[in-house]
Amino acid sequence: MSDHKTDPAKLPRLGRMLLWVDKPGSANKIFWALAAVCVVVFLLDFTYEKHAYFDFEHIPGFFAIYGFVMFTGLILTAKALRVLVKRPEDYYGNKAVDSEDYPEDQLEKVNHDGL
Amino acid sequence: MGFEAYPTAFLFFIGAVLLPLIPKGTARGIYMLAIPVLAAALIWNAGFGNFAQVPFFGFDLELMRVDGLSRIFVLVFCLASFLGNMYAWHLRDTTQQVAALLYAGSAIGAALAGDLITLFFYWEGTAIASVFLIWARGTEGAFNTGMRYLIIQIGSGVILIAGVALYYHDTGSILFEKMTLGSLGTWLIFLSFGVKAAFPLLHNWLQDSYPAATVTGTVVLSAFTTKLAIYALARGFAGTEILIYIGVIMTLFPIFFAEIENDLRRVLAYSLNNQLGFMVVGIGIGTDMALNGTASHAFAHILYKALLFMSVGSVMFRTGTSKASELGGLYRTMPLTAMFCLVGAASISAFPLFSGFVTKSLVLGEAASAHYQWVWLALVFASAGVLSHSGIKIPFFMFFAHDSGLRPKEAPRHMLLSMGITAALCIYIGVFPQTLYAILPFEMGDYQPYTMGHVVGQLQLLLFALLAFGVLMRTGIHPPEIRAINLDTDWTYRKAAPSVVGLAARGIAIIWNTQITLLLNTFNRVVARLYHSHGPEGRTAREWPTGATVVAIAVLLAAAMVVNFV
Repeated sequence: MSDHKTDPAKLPRLGRMLLWVDKPGSANKIFWALAAVCVVVFLLDFTYEKHAYFDFEHIPGFFAIYGFVMFTGLILTAKALRVLVKRPEDYYGNKAVDSEDYPEDQLEKVNHDGL
Repeated sequence: MGFEAYPTAFLFFIGAVLLPLIPKGTARGIYMLAIPVLAAALIWNAGFGNFAQVPFFGFDLELMRVDGLSRIFVLVFCLASFLGNMYAWHLRDTTQQVAALLYAGSAIGAALAGDLITLFFYWEGTAIASVFLIWARGTEGAFNTGMRYLIIQIGSGVILIAGVALYYHDTGSILFEKMTLGSLGTWLIFLSFGVKAAFPLLHNWLQDSYPAATVTGTVVLSAFTTKLAIYALARGFAGTEILIYIGVIMTLFPIFFAEIENDLRRVLAYSLNNQLGFMVVGIGIGTDMALNGTASHAFAHILYKALLFMSVGSVMFRTGTSKASELGGLYRTMPLTAMFCLVGAASISAFPLFSGFVTKSLVLGEAASAHYQWVWLALVFASAGVLSHSGIKIPFFMFFAHDSGLRPKEAPRHMLLSMGITAALCIYIGVFPQTLYAILPFEMGDYQPYTMGHVVGQLQLLLFALLAFGVLMRTGIHPPEIRAINLDTDWTYRKAAPSVVGLAARGIAIIWNTQITLLLNTFNRVVARLYHSHGPEGRTAREWPTGATVVAIAVLLAAAMVVNFV
């Protein structure tokens, strides 16, 4: 199944169209496009009158700042948590689902080109 | 008297009994789809009321209470059963098919139960039926997980019946109506609901068992047990303030664990736990609008969560693994599954025009209008957290990110069809929320989810969180996916308790052995000393020869003579 040199012509059409995301530079384009959209939704805050329940909601871009800061905080905290709780996959012994393979007879492993 | 006099659950039970008679394949597939459709049609046409009373040891059981709250849950249970059965079309395993029907039937029966005794029977029914979906995997690990699951689920039922007995003793009623926490009975009932609703610290059965079930079994599991508990809480404990805080904790702690979990089905189990938190907060607030929020969110949640489990299941069906560290780049050959997964991800993340947006906003809006400032802030944070694991992690690390080199074939047609229908429903609810709002338990008034402020606020939250993800990925700060497991509360009964028992056994053995040795040593010493002094070689034995006795007698004789003659 590990066939890195897949012939694009054999891929499903939608998959072929999506191959663009793996072209060099595409990731950059996506990131900066996202950043541009972020600027737009930030600026949208100045175009309407807010009906807020809490005072801090009136801060321009409150949700933007809160989203960015809290998301970053979440990832960093989770990373710290991993240091505490991470264990090897066979921690609970070999009679736990984490360290055993899924029974092959219940699967239908087929490659995209039928192999 | 129409069809509504026959409990809807029985339709599933009779269906399960007759199932082995239907030939495997297309006929049985259609049969499995027809049952939930028929059940939904019956409930839809039944109207509101109590339709089936049955005397039982001096109690009157209410088997069919159809009202606004129970109806929406029964309808979505039927829908979930339909979609799950379609997803499992390829299955030729009678055990799993019977279990799926019994499980759905028990959940529907419990939602329609008008009294606590009926609720108890169906409550245990869901536990027993569902464990077969875990055991069907057929491995030793799945068997052990299933046992743990069963013990906890049955335990919940035992706590429930104990609570019901005390509640009946206090109030003389077994009707399942709104209760107030206070007596031991109501607390026990609350606790038993809490176990199934995966309250914090009681939650870990969920993350333990769902990743252990079969590919199709997890899709079915994700719909019923926890949402049944949400229904039961909404029915019995609406407006109980402690639920607000329990709910907030439920929305928060799973997002950290989900972030670092490698098994994507376990990530979804944590995510499920987090979504239940929003519903529990709604129940705790307890206003009509908040309960509408809970019911509608449960409805939308069952669909997008099933969709996400289906997409991960499809990948597992084709590759044999659901571990993020082993996957990536699958969009090339499974693009449709990837698209459906993205719809599920957008729905759970509550992007505008997707289902989560129009339902979660009800709960958040009620928290804000009741001025729970910190609760509201926590829920908004949790919403960004949902994006991090279900919105980004699931689709990104499975279908994009680094190329794993795997080139699996697109999911089978029946899986694509059930994912497609579910995805269409997620979008339909997001675009036309009034259809869902119309079947909620309470009047919605002129509520409008699509206001400028709400849409812009939500977009800011989600897009800037996405931007933060981009920044963290580009800087390499985002934690990588690695093959590992994480400790959670199941550590207490899978590791700590066994090792405490082991330790205690060793300690007791040491004390026992020491005492026995001490006792034996003392005894040996006593024997040795006695032997030393009184044995054949002992001093006393040595000093008592027959000659000595003769000498002593002679001395005594001499003394007696001396005394006589002198």
